[in-house]
Amino acid sequence: MRAVMWRGGVGAVFAAVLLPMVAVMWLSFFDQEVISFPPEGYTWRWYVNAWEKKQFARGFVNSLQLALVAAGLGVFVGTAAAYALVRAEFPGKAFLGTLLLSPLAVPGVVLGTALYVFFVEVENAIDIDIRATLPGLIAAHVLLTVPWTVRLVAASLQGIGPAAEEAAANLGARPWTVFRRITLPMMRSGVVAGALFSFIQSFENLELSLLLVGPGRSTLPVEMLNYLEFRIDPTLAAVATIQIVLIGALMLVTDRYVNLSRVVS
Amino acid sequence: MAALLLPAVLLVLAMMVAPMALLFRYSLNLYSPTELMIAAVTPGNYLAAVTDPYYWGVLRTTLTVAFEATLIALILGFPAAYVLARMQGRWKGPLTLLTVFPLMVGNVVRAAGWMTLLGNSGVLNAALKAMGFGGIEMMYTQGAVIVGIVTVVLPYMILTLASVIESIPVNAEEAAQNLGARPFTVFRRIVLPLSLPGVVAGSALVFILCMNAYATPVLLGGARFKMMAPAVYDQFVRTTNWPFGAALAFILLFVTLGLTMAGSALLQRRYRR
Repeated sequence: MRAVMWRGGVGAVFAAVLLPMVAVMWLSFFDQEVISFPPEGYTWRWYVNAWEKKQFARGFVNSLQLALVAAGLGVFVGTAAAYALVRAEFPGKAFLGTLLLSPLAVPGVVLGTALYVFFVEVENAIDIDIRATLPGLIAAHVLLTVPWTVRLVAASLQGIGPAAEEAAANLGARPWTVFRRITLPMMRSGVVAGALFSFIQSFENLELSLLLVGPGRSTLPVEMLNYLEFRIDPTLAAVATIQIVLIGALMLVTDRYVNLSRVVS
Repeated sequence: MAALLLPAVLLVLAMMVAPMALLFRYSLNLYSPTELMIAAVTPGNYLAAVTDPYYWGVLRTTLTVAFEATLIALILGFPAAYVLARMQGRWKGPLTLLTVFPLMVGNVVRAAGWMTLLGNSGVLNAALKAMGFGGIEMMYTQGAVIVGIVTVVLPYMILTLASVIESIPVNAEEAAQNLGARPFTVFRRIVLPLSLPGVVAGSALVFILCMNAYATPVLLGGARFKMMAPAVYDQFVRTTNWPFGAALAFILLFVTLGLTMAGSALLQRRYRR
């Protein structure tokens, strides 16, 4: 009896975390505009409606572009840094490692505000728009994608010693050949995981984007927040559901490459 | 080879260190309604923020919500983490995936879920009415914000605790049991003390996230409920007093870091005795 209650309680904790996502997915199929329970029927039409609403379609495309470019840049820069951090020895290494991970420790709100005033100053100095542009958002989101890549690639490199690389070099392979034939394949799982996590983090980020968006140049999470401040309806639920499904699929792919329980701590 | 670090380090210096330094410099400036900002070095904005009853209220609300949410997450998360850590076999992987997955879904999406459940014509109120009870106002209350934040931070707490509990040998628990200790005694004398590093790390991480929550208080708390993070943004979006907004941002940062470090030190010292 006790064991049953114990299991039920623990099950309820996991269920409570998933409950809001299940609720919003359910709502997206309701056949009425105004929420009431139980629903009168079920329909797919809110998904069509969501795509026809300009702010969501444009927000989705903007977020996709932003996350793809920010993750692409982050993976290049972050993988190079992670390789040096794990394989090279030089003074100040520990400090630089901490510095590269620190953007994840600074609260998003404080960092977002800092970027806003910084961009205003730079705009005044060089007379080019940075706020409300894609390059401005990318510059901000690289602060998410670089640390995530460094963390995941470094973790995967730590598991494999330099022995194979040294052996290849001793057998006469040139540095570039060693990198292409030995190092890169060994790092592959870390790089793929870094790319996928970076993409998700950038795509879902709200705080860094909030002050940097502008008319026509807004991200999906910001558009959703603005909409939700007035109402929740099945159209918004459809937008949320698409994201949940997209992220779920990406997580299943990531799960094949890294041990997910190691990602947080 | 250290040169490979250069692009990443330059990016972080240019996009994080320089903007943060600039924001701090702003917080020492003077505000003027006509010229907006006058260069100065004054603690005036910080003093104005901590002596203003409105912002005291905002800070107090933020601290209350953060403390309560952290405590609830710890109490709910510990048993869940224990089960996850001690689990073996083919369900462990899927359960871990199910715990990490919500972390990746944005807070806006999850707040939308709670709005569906807690709204005046939402699932819970409909269920209450169907059972013959009257509806309850649940949205736009502190309770709704705490519920929303707890479910946002729970996976962090569970994963941090589980990674520490996994490293405690099962033998230690079995030995205590064999010597006649009851389950609660095993928990109090063996599991809890040994998992203390996880309790400290998990609580610190979760407390920081609660203090800086943005989407959840805005959407579930409504326009009249204010926490610090939305208050900082309001200073930049709705008013033009940037020095004051910058000071608020750094007050939030310092209070969060200060309390996190003090709390960790206190917890660790208590258990070393």
